[in-house]
Amino acid sequence: MEIDKDNANPTILNPSDLPSRRRESHVKRRDEGGSGLFDDLVPRCSYLSDPFDAPVSTSDPDDDAREDIDEQEIYDLISTICDPEHPLSLGSLSVVNLPDIRILQPTSPLSSISTVAVEITPTITHCSLATVIGLGVRVRLEQALPPRFRVDVRIKKGTHSTDEQVNKQLGDKERVAAALENGTLMGVLRKMLATCE
Amino acid sequence: MSSATPSPTHTLSRLATLTPPSNSRTWQSAPHPSLPIVATACSDRSVRVYSLTSFTLLHSITGGHKRSVRTVSWKPHTKGQSVLATGSFDSSAGIWRREESGPGLENDFTNQRRGDGDEEDEADDYQFSCILDGHESEIKCLSWSPSGQYLATCSRDKSVWIWEELEDDNFETVAVLQDHDGDVKCVGWHPEEDLLVSASYDDTVRLWREDQDDWVQVAMINGHDRTVWWAEFEASGMGKRDFRREGKELSEEQTRHVEGLERSGPRLATCSDDCTVRVWRRKAKERDDQASSNTGIPSIIRSVAIDEDWYQEAVLPQVHERAIYSVSWSRITGMIASAGSDGKIIVYKERWREGDKAEVDEAATQSSTEWVVVAELFSAHDVFEINHVSWARRADKGKRSDDEEVVLSTGDDGEVRVWTLDEGVMSH
Amino acid sequence: MSYLAEVLASVPQKVLSLQQRNLLCDFTLSRTEDAEGLGSCAKALLALEELGKWDDQQVVGIVETLLTNTHPLRQFKQQSERYPVLRLIDTLMAKYRKALRTHHESTPDFMARFISYFDGEKDPRNLMVVFSILRVPMTEWSIGADAQELFDAVFNYFPITFRPPPDDPYGITAQDLKDRLRDCISSTADFAPYAFPALLDKLDSTSMNTKRDVLSTITAAVTEYGPRTVSLYAITLWDALKFEVLNVQEEDLAQEALAGLAAIARTLSQGTPASLNAYLKPIMKECNEHLEDAPTKQSQASARFLHKIADVSPEVTNILLAGVLPNLFLLFQTADTMAKRRGLLEVLVQLIRANIDVYGDWRTMGPGGDKVENNALAQFRDQALEVMLNGLETAPSKEVSFRLVCLDGLVQLSKARGLLSDEHVGNIIHLFHSVVIHEDSYGKDEVKEAAINGIVEIAHQKPQVVIDKAFPAFLAQLPDTDTDGPNSYSTVLEAFAKLASEEQVFDTVMLRLKNKFSAAVKQGASSEYIVALLSAMLYALNKGANKLAQHSETSNYYRDIALPLIQRASSSDADHPTAFNDERTLDLVGRICNLIIRSQPTEQQNSVTTELYTLFRSTPQAELPPFNINATEANKTMIVSTHLLASFRKDTTLPSELQFLVSSLANFAQQPSLSLPIRSASLRQMSLVINKYYTSTALKTCMDPLIADIDLLNPDKLDPPRIRIIFACLKGIVLRSSPALNTLYPTILSLLSHTKYGSTVAQGFTTLLQPDDLLTKDNHCQILGLHKHKSFALLVPSITKAFREADPETKPNYLIALSGVLRWMPFDIVVEEVGQLVTLLLQSLDLASVDSVKEAAIGTLTSTLLEKPEVLEEHTGALISRLLANATVTKDRPAPPPGVRVAALKCLHLVAEKSKEDNIIRYRREVVRRLVAALDDRKREVRSAAVKCRAKWLDADEPDDD
Repeated sequence: MEIDKDNANPTILNPSDLPSRRRESHVKRRDEGGSGLFDDLVPRCSYLSDPFDAPVSTSDPDDDAREDIDEQEIYDLISTICDPEHPLSLGSLSVVNLPDIRILQPTSPLSSISTVAVEITPTITHCSLATVIGLGVRVRLEQALPPRFRVDVRIKKGTHSTDEQVNKQLGDKERVAAALENGTLMGVLRKMLATCE
Repeated sequence: MSSATPSPTHTLSRLATLTPPSNSRTWQSAPHPSLPIVATACSDRSVRVYSLTSFTLLHSITGGHKRSVRTVSWKPHTKGQSVLATGSFDSSAGIWRREESGPGLENDFTNQRRGDGDEEDEADDYQFSCILDGHESEIKCLSWSPSGQYLATCSRDKSVWIWEELEDDNFETVAVLQDHDGDVKCVGWHPEEDLLVSASYDDTVRLWREDQDDWVQVAMINGHDRTVWWAEFEASGMGKRDFRREGKELSEEQTRHVEGLERSGPRLATCSDDCTVRVWRRKAKERDDQASSNTGIPSIIRSVAIDEDWYQEAVLPQVHERAIYSVSWSRITGMIASAGSDGKIIVYKERWREGDKAEVDEAATQSSTEWVVVAELFSAHDVFEINHVSWARRADKGKRSDDEEVVLSTGDDGEVRVWTLDEGVMSH
Repeated sequence: MSYLAEVLASVPQKVLSLQQRNLLCDFTLSRTEDAEGLGSCAKALLALEELGKWDDQQVVGIVETLLTNTHPLRQFKQQSERYPVLRLIDTLMAKYRKALRTHHESTPDFMARFISYFDGEKDPRNLMVVFSILRVPMTEWSIGADAQELFDAVFNYFPITFRPPPDDPYGITAQDLKDRLRDCISSTADFAPYAFPALLDKLDSTSMNTKRDVLSTITAAVTEYGPRTVSLYAITLWDALKFEVLNVQEEDLAQEALAGLAAIARTLSQGTPASLNAYLKPIMKECNEHLEDAPTKQSQASARFLHKIADVSPEVTNILLAGVLPNLFLLFQTADTMAKRRGLLEVLVQLIRANIDVYGDWRTMGPGGDKVENNALAQFRDQALEVMLNGLETAPSKEVSFRLVCLDGLVQLSKARGLLSDEHVGNIIHLFHSVVIHEDSYGKDEVKEAAINGIVEIAHQKPQVVIDKAFPAFLAQLPDTDTDGPNSYSTVLEAFAKLASEEQVFDTVMLRLKNKFSAAVKQGASSEYIVALLSAMLYALNKGANKLAQHSETSNYYRDIALPLIQRASSSDADHPTAFNDERTLDLVGRICNLIIRSQPTEQQNSVTTELYTLFRSTPQAELPPFNINATEANKTMIVSTHLLASFRKDTTLPSELQFLVSSLANFAQQPSLSLPIRSASLRQMSLVINKYYTSTALKTCMDPLIADIDLLNPDKLDPPRIRIIFACLKGIVLRSSPALNTLYPTILSLLSHTKYGSTVAQGFTTLLQPDDLLTKDNHCQILGLHKHKSFALLVPSITKAFREADPETKPNYLIALSGVLRWMPFDIVVEEVGQLVTLLLQSLDLASVDSVKEAAIGTLTSTLLEKPEVLEEHTGALISRLLANATVTKDRPAPPPGVRVAALKCLHLVAEKSKEDNIIRYRREVVRRLVAALDDRKREVRSAAVKCRAKWLDADEPDDD
C-alpha cells in the first residue's frame, strides 16, 4: 500500500538520545565505579565450575524478584514501531516520548485492572496517518501487554488539527476490533509492527 | 442525585459458565423469548447456542459470516421453529431457522452436541435461510420488533434500516434512517408501540416511528456527552407493578407518581462511554387519559404532532470507572444491570425516596423515587472487559421460583457467565 | 545447402583455391535470394571464411547482398535461421573493421539499412550478438547523423525484462544482456543527447529494477562519455539523481545514485576546473540549504552527498570544503538547539572522513597524499578543532549523541594526514582521558567508552604522543595504595588496560602496570587493589597475545613478570602478599604466567617444567602436593601449577613419571578436605597430563593403573570423588578420540543405571565436550578434528537404545546424559540422527526440575527447527504443548527458571517461523491464548521474548475470506 508522504522531511533524533533502560550490570557496578571490563577474564565455563557440585536446577537466586512492567518497558514496546511513511521508528521521530506514557494502578483493592495511558505526538499537525499510528500503538500494546491492562491511546493535546475525532476513534473498542479484521489495514499495521524489541 | 449510595444489599454469585467457552472475544448474548436457550455472537465468525438448563453448547452456527458476528436477535412469537437474526462486521445480516419439535428440546439437553456441523443431521441444525444486504459497513446491532413484524439493523455507515418480513424469507426495506452523524451502536424496540430507539457514536439517542407510512425521527436525546453504547426500554406495564413498595401503603404523592408512570409508559435506559447510566421518561401527551390506558394502542385521534418529549428522569449512581457497554432492565423486578470495560457488573434498584423529604428537595420534584446500587461485582470476567449483560429466566434444576432470574454476562475472554442475585452480602 | 555447409565446415585448410572459394561464396550468396535455408548459407559462408581471408569488396558484397535479399532479418521466423547470419556479420565486423567502415563512409544510406536490418530481434541469444555487432559502429565509426537511429536501435530494449527459462541450454542471463546493453549505451558520447533524457525519463518508473538499471547505466555513461559531454548534462543529472538520496526508496538505489553523482565529479575533474565548479555549485547550494534545518532526513542526505563526492579527488574535496564549511560553522554558531549542532557536525565529520580517504592518515598515504600540502581542510583546522573540543568539553552529559559526534570528529581530525600538530593531538587526548577519568558515568556510558576507544585509535596513529600525554595522566590517577576505595581507580585501570590493544603501546602499558603492581605490594595495598592490578595485566596480555607470540624468545616478560609472580605465590616471606592466599588471585597469577610462558620455545619452558610443583621453593617436590597429601598449607599453589602445566608444550619433560603423577593426582584429588578450586585444579591436571604427554599407545591403557590401584570403575565402590576422576581422565582422552573410548564409553554408560549415583554419572557427560579454558590448542593440547563425531557415534545411539530398555526410575539419567552430550555438539553432527532423538528430547522437556537438561533439549530442538524442520513436523503438537508448558508459570508446577522460559519462547517463535502454515494454523488460537500468561511473567526478558513469540503467532493468520 503506497502512502504519499505528509511530512517528507521530519526531524530525526539520534538513537543514543532516546531513553533506555540502564543495563542492570551497570547499575549494580555504579557504586565501585568501573564497567566490569575485567569480569569476563575468567571464562564462563571455567575449569573451576564443577558440574557435580553445581545445583541440578540452574535457577538463579533473584529468580523470584518481580520486575514490574513500567513506563520504560511500554516505551520500548512502542518506540520501535515503524512509522508508516518513513523507515524510521516512532521513537526516533519522537512521536512517542517517555514522559507521555503513564501507568495507572488499580483504583480499588478489589480491582486488578491497571491502565496504560499513552499520548502520541504526530510529526505534523495535519498528519493524515495519526489514526493509523495511534492504532498501531494500541494494537501493539493490546498484543504485548497482559489483559489486566486497559490501553488508552490519545493524540497529545494541541498537536493535531483533529485530535478529538482521532481520540474518539482510537478509544472505540468496536471500531478497533473491526479495523483488525480489515485485510488492507492489517497489512499496513503488520509492516509497522514488524520491528519489535 | 443520591450521591451517598448505601452499601450493596445483594450479591451476585456465579452459577455457571456456559461450556465450552469460545476461545476468542464474545460480543453479545440473546436469551430466547420462550425457550431456555441463549445465542451468543462470537468474533470467531460463529454464533453459539447454549442451553440454560444444562449450561452446555447445543449448536454452533458457522459458515454464514466472513467477519465477527457482532449481534444476534431471536424473532418473537414463532410457532414450532426458532428464527435467529445475526449481524456481522461483514456488513450483512443473516436469518437462520431451526425446527423445534416440542420434546426435541429435551433431547437437546440430554445428548449435548458440539455444533461443528458435519455429523449433525441437517434437520436438527440451524439452516441458513436468507441474507440481508444493504449496509455499507459493519452491522453493530439488530433487533426484532415485539410483534416480530419488523427487524431493525444499524451500522457504522451511520444508518438504521428497518426491514419488514412480508412472508418467510422475503424481507422488504421499509426505511433507511440516516439522521445520525456517527456509527449507530444499538437499536431497540418499545415493548408496546412500534417505536424504535437508536444510540450512536454521535453521543445522541434518537427515537423513530412511522408517520403516514414514512419512518421519521420523533425525538432526540442529548444527555450523554460520549458515545452511547446501549439503549433498552423498560418492560411493559412495570409502572403499575409496584416493586418499590416495601409492604407499606402508597402515599398520595406516590400514587400520583405511579399513575404518572403509567401515562408515560415504559421508560428508557441508556449507557455510555461517559460512564453513566441514565433513565429517560416520556412526557405524557396532554390528552384524555384513555389514550395512555395500558392497552398501549395509540388512540386514533392522536394529535397531529407525533414529536415526543423524552426527559431525563434519573442518572444512576456512578460506580463504573470506564465505558459502560451494556445495560439491561429486568422485566420481573425492574432492577437494572450494567457492565462494561472496567469488568464490573452493577445491579441497581429503584426505591421510594425516604420520608416526605420529597416535598422540600426540588431535585425530587421530577421523581419521588431514587436508584441505589444493590450489588457491585468486581472482575466478573477476571481481568477482561464485559461487552454485554442481560437478564434471563432461570431454567436449570436449581431454580427456586418460576420467575427467578439470572444475569448473563458476555466477555472478551470468550465466556458467557451466569449469575444469580441473592439477598445479603457475603464477605470477599 | 546445409549439406554444403557441413562439408565446408569439415574441409581442411588450403584444400580449396582462392577462386574456388570465391565461386562457392558467390553461389552461396545467390542462394540467399530464396526464402529457404538462409541459416545454412550463413553457416557455409562462415565455414568458407574460416578457410581463407576475403578481400574487402568481397566482404562488402556479402553484407550488401544480405541486406538486399534478407532485410529485415526478422522475416525469418526461425531463431536457428537468424542466428548464423548474425554470427556471420559479427565475424565480419570483427575481422574486417576497416573495410566496412570505409564502406559506411562512402555509402550514405548504408548505416540506416544496416541498423534497421536487425529490427525486432527478440531472441536473447541473438540479441547478445546484435549488441556486439552494433557496438562496433558505435565505438569506431563516425556516426553523426545516424547516432539517434543507432541509439534507438538498442535503447528499444531498455530495460531488459527477460527472465531466462529454467532449462535454458545457453545459460544467457538477464544480467548478460543488461551488461551488453549498458556497454552499447555508454559506448559513445554521441548518444548523450538521446541517452540522458531517455534514461532520466525511465527513472520515474515505479519498478525498482528499472530504476536500478537506469542508475547503473547512467553511472557507466558519465564514466565513458568524457568531461566535455558530461559537463553539458551534469546539473540536469544532479537534479534528477538527488531525489533517490533525499527520499530513499531502496537503500541500494540511493547507493547507486551516489555512485553516479561521484562518477560525474570524477569525470569532470579530468576536464576544465570551470565545468567541475559549475557542477559542484548547485550541490553545495542545496546542501547548504538543507543544513539550515538540520538534523533532518535531508541534512543527513546532504552529509551523504558531500562524503561520497568529496571522496573523488583532492580538487573536489577542496572545493566542497571551501563551499560548505564556512556556512556550516556560521550555522553552528547561530544554532538554537543541540540537536541542530549535532546534525551539522555529522556533516562536518563526513567531510573529514572523505578528506582522509583522499589524502590518507598518518600511517598510510591516500591516493591524493602527494598533494596533501594544499589540503583545504587545513584552513578550517583550528575552527573545527575549537568547535568540537569545546563541544565535547562543555556540553551537558545528557547530550550523548552530540558529544559522541564531537568525539568522533576529533578522532578523525587527529587521524587526518599531516593536519594536526602533536600538540593539538595532545590536547585531544588530554580531553579524552579527562572524560574517562573525571566524568560521572551517565546512561550507558557511551561517551566514556568512545573516549577510551578514541585514545586507542589515536595511539595507532600517534603512539608516542599518547604515551607522553595520556600515560602520565592515567598513572597519576592510579594510587600506589588504595586508601579511598575502588572508586578511585577502577575506571582508570580499565581504560589504561584497554590501551594495550594497540600494539604500538602494548609494551609500555605492561611495563607501567608491572611497576604499579610492585609498588602496590610494597605499600601493602588491599587485596582488592592487587587483584584489580593483576586483572588489568591479564586483560592487557590477552589483548597483546599475538604480539607475545611473535617474539617470545626475546621478550623479557617471563623474567620481569611471570617469574616474580610465581615466586611471590610460592614464597612464604614478605614478598607474599596476603592477597595471594586467595584462590581467585592465584588463578589470575596462573593465567598471567600461562599467557607469557606458553609461547616460549621448548628449551626455555623446560627451565620451568622442573619447577612445576616446587615453584622455585627450596622444599623438595616429594614433600609438596600432589605427592604429599599432608602438605595442606601448600595446596593452594596447585592452582598456579595447573596453569603452568597448561602452558607447556607437549615435548617438554615433566618433573615426575607420568603414571605416578596421574595416580598421585588421583589420590590427592580424592581428599574430602580440598576446596573446590584446588580440587578442580588438580583434576584438570590429570586431563592435561593425559591429553598432552601420553603416547597414543600409552593412552589406550592410561586408566589401567587407577583401575588396578583403586578399582576405579567398580560400580560397588562408585562415589562422587571417583566419578570426578573418571570424567577428568575421559576429558583428556576424548579430545584425542582415542580407540580406548570404544571400551571405556560402554563401561561408563552402564554406570547410568546405578541406583545411587546414576544421576551423578549422568551429570558428568556434559563435561566431556564442554568448551574448556585450559584444554585448548593454544595450550598445546591434542585436539583431533573429529573427536566430537567419534563421541557422538559412540554415545548417542547407545544412550537412546539403553533408554528404551531402562526402568522408569533410571530413565531420566539417560535423558540427562544425552542432553549433556548434545549440549556442546555442533548441530551438523547431530542433524543426521536428530530424527531418532526427537521423542527423547520431547520427553526431557517433561522432566521436573532438571532445568539444565531442558535448556539443552530446547537448544537442540531449536537448531533442528533451523536446520531440519521437517523431522519435527509430525511432532508439532507435542512440541508446542511442551514448549508452552516450559514457557509459562502456573501454580500447579514448579516454575522453570527464566532461562528455560526464554529459551522455550524463542523456540516456540521458531516453530511458527519454520513450520508450514497449514501445519500450525490449528494451534494458533490456543498458543496465542496461553502465551498471554507469559506476557505477565515476573521477568522482563521473558516478557519481551513472549511478546515477539506471540506477535509471530498472531501473524500466522487464518486465511482472510475477503
